[in-house]
Amino acid sequence: MILFEEVSKVYAGNFSALKEVDFHLKQGEMAFLTGHSGSGKSTLLKLISLMERPTTGRIVLNGNDISHIKGNDIPYMRRHIGMIFQDHRLLMNRTVLENVGLPLLIEGYNQYEIKRRSLVALDKVGLSGKEDYAPIHLSGGEQQRVGIARAIINQPPLLLADEPTGNLDPKLSLEILSLFESLNEFGMSVLIATHDLGLIAKMRYRTLTLKEGIMINDGLMRERNG
Amino acid sequence: MAKQKADKNVLSGSPRITKVSFFGRVASVFQQHFQQIFTSFSELWKTPFATLMTILVLGVALSLPSVFHVLYKNTERVTDQWDKASEISLFLKKDISEQRIQVLINKLGLYDDIEAVTHITSHQALQEFKEMSGFSKALNYLDENPLPDVLIVVPVAQAMNIAGSKLLVAKLKREQGVDLVRVDIDWIEKLQAILSVVVDIVIAIAVLLLLSVLLIVSNTIRLNILNQRSEIEVFKLVGATNSFIQRPFLYVGAWYGLLGGLIAWLLTFGLVQWLHSGVISLMGLYQVEFQISVMNLEEVAILIAVATFLGFIASYISVKQYLVKIEPK
Repeated sequence: MILFEEVSKVYAGNFSALKEVDFHLKQGEMAFLTGHSGSGKSTLLKLISLMERPTTGRIVLNGNDISHIKGNDIPYMRRHIGMIFQDHRLLMNRTVLENVGLPLLIEGYNQYEIKRRSLVALDKVGLSGKEDYAPIHLSGGEQQRVGIARAIINQPPLLLADEPTGNLDPKLSLEILSLFESLNEFGMSVLIATHDLGLIAKMRYRTLTLKEGIMINDGLMRERNG
Repeated sequence: MAKQKADKNVLSGSPRITKVSFFGRVASVFQQHFQQIFTSFSELWKTPFATLMTILVLGVALSLPSVFHVLYKNTERVTDQWDKASEISLFLKKDISEQRIQVLINKLGLYDDIEAVTHITSHQALQEFKEMSGFSKALNYLDENPLPDVLIVVPVAQAMNIAGSKLLVAKLKREQGVDLVRVDIDWIEKLQAILSVVVDIVIAIAVLLLLSVLLIVSNTIRLNILNQRSEIEVFKLVGATNSFIQRPFLYVGAWYGLLGGLIAWLLTFGLVQWLHSGVISLMGLYQVEFQISVMNLEEVAILIAVATFLGFIASYISVKQYLVKIEPK
């Protein structure tokens, strides 16, 4: 699904954000990406979501080498990645339904199909009946769920989440992670970037740990309690 | 049960369960265009004051060239009435015989570009001169009639213009027995030269004003793009192509142009109506009956089409300049 081969990223001013990172996330696998602020988590996610290009090394996504992908191909490649952000990145001037249906609108689905699928996706994330709300009228947790519904609506093979529980209380955080688990059960690969080690410890998944741009650990962090 | 299965398919992972067919995509593109045309129109009125100001500025800028056009069109109509070299005078040589004059008249009658030829004999010319000048007694003292025979040539309607007259004059000068050919077209040529300069000035002003329309719309769209930067980033993150994102901005630009064109038409119409009574009175002083011609349907359509196209192009320039550079961070 995702293959990193000796990937480095150097920003202007000779700042090395990633240093020869290697890892392989298989199809249907769920993993955490952790590390302190500035460890390179966001850079790694940006490389996968094609917001940045690697300075050296090779990135393969879903069988396609995206290290030197052409600019015109980026939108089509992004349609195969569901992205979830800490700040949700919702369109506040549109309804929940319109936000969720955005990827399908872009892909050229008709209005009937967009509405049908959006309602199913909202039901899946527990937001049935809130389709006509403006996102501003929803709580932080609900907004995050809208973001998740938008990310999964076009059934991407890969789900990337950048600090998806950063603004949520522990109970809501666990609910969101359970949601990711259920999506993973459907066959989606899931990569969650978080610095919440407590949360990672409660789950039993592979954890990639970055420190100053170097992958220092790749494996299970700890057995889940209970 | 079937519904549950369908719902599971919707949210299942790779591979995707359903894909949009080619015809489905084509139909959807048309549907999206149609929706975006009307959505972009309603977007305009979310900031009604700013939109109204922009449209009015565009209307004023576009109305000036169109008012100039209407004025030029009417001036041309007026001068067209004077632009006719209606008669050409052929002064014949003194020694030409009556028989030779008749041959010449018959020959001129065969010209395609001559409608009629009238012969004024030297005797008739002298009589007329005596009557009109008031020097009849003095003229009686002349030993011989100094005036030549004259042929008054009336060109056909198609030749009653400067170019046609010049051609005819050149032919007439080559006829035997013709001493001098006179046609009073110099002042028409001067008037047309002045009009030509005025037209050049008007074209230059019109180009500058149209350029200002481009800049106004372009800058407005630039501000719209910058205001919607975060929204554009979200669109790009979920896989929207630049062409998908730019479409509403292009339609907004076209709407600005179209509405500006309509305002320009209304302003032109109002201005021409306002000038109408003054022009009628002025022309009345010269015993000329004249009705001001306003813009016809074709001209209105051209004005609005040009304005819409300018709005679209201006928007396109802005979109290419700014929108493509916005990338999600």
